[in-house]
Amino acid sequence: MDNKDKLSEIKEKRKEWEEKVLMPSAKRFGIEKRPTEFYTPSDIPNFDFERDVGFPGQYPFTAAPYPVNLVPRIERGAKPGGLRRAGLYSGYGTPEDTRDYYKLMAELSWTGGPNLALDLPTQCGYDSDTEMIEGEVGKVGVAIDTLRDFEVIFEAFTGDQDLDKIATNITINAAANILVAMYIALAEKRGIPMAKLRCTPQNDILKEFVSRGTYIFPPRPSMRMFRDSVVFFTENLPGINITSIGGYHIREGGATREQELAFSMAIGIAYLQEGVNAGVDIDAFAPKFTFNGFGGSMQLFKEVAFQRASRRMWAKILKERFGAKKKDSMRIRCPIGAHMGYSNATKQRALNNLTRSVVGAIASVLSGGQPMAFPPYDEPLGLGWSLEARQLAEDATRIIMYETGMCDVIDPLAGSYYVESLTNEIEDAAWKGIEKIEGMGGAVTAIENGYMQRECAKSAAERQARIEKREDLIVGVNCFTEEYELDVTTSKIVEHPYDEEKRYNAEKQQKANLAEVKRTRNNREVTRLLKELESAAKKEDMNLMPLFINLAREYATLQEQCDVLRSVFGEWQLDSFV
Amino acid sequence: MERERKIKVLIAKPGLDGHDRGAKVLSFGLRDQGMEVIYTGRRQSVQQIVNSALQEDVDVVGLSILSGAHLTFFPKVVNLLRENDAGDMLVIGGGIIPDEHIPILKEKGVTEIFGPGTLIKDIGDFIRKNVRKIA
Repeated sequence: MDNKDKLSEIKEKRKEWEEKVLMPSAKRFGIEKRPTEFYTPSDIPNFDFERDVGFPGQYPFTAAPYPVNLVPRIERGAKPGGLRRAGLYSGYGTPEDTRDYYKLMAELSWTGGPNLALDLPTQCGYDSDTEMIEGEVGKVGVAIDTLRDFEVIFEAFTGDQDLDKIATNITINAAANILVAMYIALAEKRGIPMAKLRCTPQNDILKEFVSRGTYIFPPRPSMRMFRDSVVFFTENLPGINITSIGGYHIREGGATREQELAFSMAIGIAYLQEGVNAGVDIDAFAPKFTFNGFGGSMQLFKEVAFQRASRRMWAKILKERFGAKKKDSMRIRCPIGAHMGYSNATKQRALNNLTRSVVGAIASVLSGGQPMAFPPYDEPLGLGWSLEARQLAEDATRIIMYETGMCDVIDPLAGSYYVESLTNEIEDAAWKGIEKIEGMGGAVTAIENGYMQRECAKSAAERQARIEKREDLIVGVNCFTEEYELDVTTSKIVEHPYDEEKRYNAEKQQKANLAEVKRTRNNREVTRLLKELESAAKKEDMNLMPLFINLAREYATLQEQCDVLRSVFGEWQLDSFV
Repeated sequence: MERERKIKVLIAKPGLDGHDRGAKVLSFGLRDQGMEVIYTGRRQSVQQIVNSALQEDVDVVGLSILSGAHLTFFPKVVNLLRENDAGDMLVIGGGIIPDEHIPILKEKGVTEIFGPGTLIKDIGDFIRKNVRKIA
């Protein structure tokens, strides 16, 4: 009997089993609908190990992006992570406050570069002294107006932590090139050439239109800025990551798993195409694309399948569509694996989020990634994370890493009838989504016409409706909420390292800092360079990066530069799409 | 007394915060409950929000912020509504609002704060119970 006959025989037998064994048994419990699923080889009839999975670190990277899953080894002196790792997304108040925070963390044995969180005015291209943004300076991140502010923050990074020795992350999208220019100017003042810098600006503007919302200019001029990044960074900054694409934000914004994958891949394609159109060789810049993370949920197996599908899709896009030759171009570099999804954390009985985060971390290991139990359980309670919650999250991760043996095998579910079939299903749905977007003219058009935004809002509303009807259950939110359930809390023993009072005074202080810069810089030169920026911006083929660097050197403010670009590019119409 | 028209709600995102999933979901949800809902979109100034509220003569203003700027924005909206003789509009808020800020906001005229996990039917019930009466 050949394989095909064997599969149809299994399919037959499965059907028979369902009718004669499963359903009668279910009916005895009063269940009319099929209560559970069971997968067989007939669910993956065309499964081909080498084509569909491959070895870890090899095309199509389904098993894992790298041959080794780099769990830090205790015996090799694994660095204490968590609380003491500078990579954590951080920053608040004035640049002075953030510098002092990093210095404090360095005393706690932190090493490595910062992962800078910026306040919303900075992310949206406004200076701290602009009236309309009152109340937002130094909140959710640190305020950056000029090069001066980088100079202050990076006083915490010198000597063996100098700019040529650390890697810096900056969560900036619309104004990414302007802030990278400031970073370059800062390095220059320290005598460090830009070629030696390692840095990752988020620089994923398209997803900002879909969710998160820190856009400034319309999508097309935003893509021109992205083109400038690809061209200038590839030529001058070999150590920089061009973009850190996030599907995560799209899912958190409401998208389903399949929509997220389709949208983020379509966005990735648009970025790649921009570089190719500018004449840059795909293998010269694709390896400098990273993904900061995809979305997650509590549906463990589906998230495992999602991660596997995302790696396979990106690899295919690069190889088949863009003709990439290098392995590094095809592999998704994504430091974050599967997770519970932040929006699934509940304010109600918040400690349960620790349990949820463990489920997410296990999904990550099972999908060939590293376990990371996050977010800290108290995330929905406020904007600052307590050190206690971070300790618990870090320990949960360590327990999975070091006590369970789960990290000893990569992609342990490879070949599972269920997981392979799910992986195919998610990938197929995402390809269909991409096809639809391409039919409209690509990701940029699908954003301009509001398609992606509407789809996310629709899915978010559907999810909420299922929660209200108790079709989707959330413990402590829409079930098990009776009064005899206990609300377990922890007592706060360690102070949050962000100083409340400093945060409160940040706005006033930063306005004074900015006024001082404007008084002491060469204003005539700033005005001249801004005029130069205006005429360069009007010429579509001009790369604005060199001008941004000149402007940074002269302490031109972020908003001064953005205002010039606003006048040329226009601003994105803030359509609500509801 | 029976209301002669649908309850009219303005859902607004003050400030630069772009996290509008909650605002959109609430807009859909309250609409499903038979209310007339206008969603402003992101990045609204206090003045813009109050202008929309007055122009549309809404009964409820729902403000959503997840960026921590609620202590600045929410009271400003309340005050400007009052200055425009619209102090009877019901102002409610949502987002990531630390528990200790809720009494402060209530004292400043925000009637209720709804955090993550709130069911929209509960928000709808609250609105129907507390909305101004219309002659």
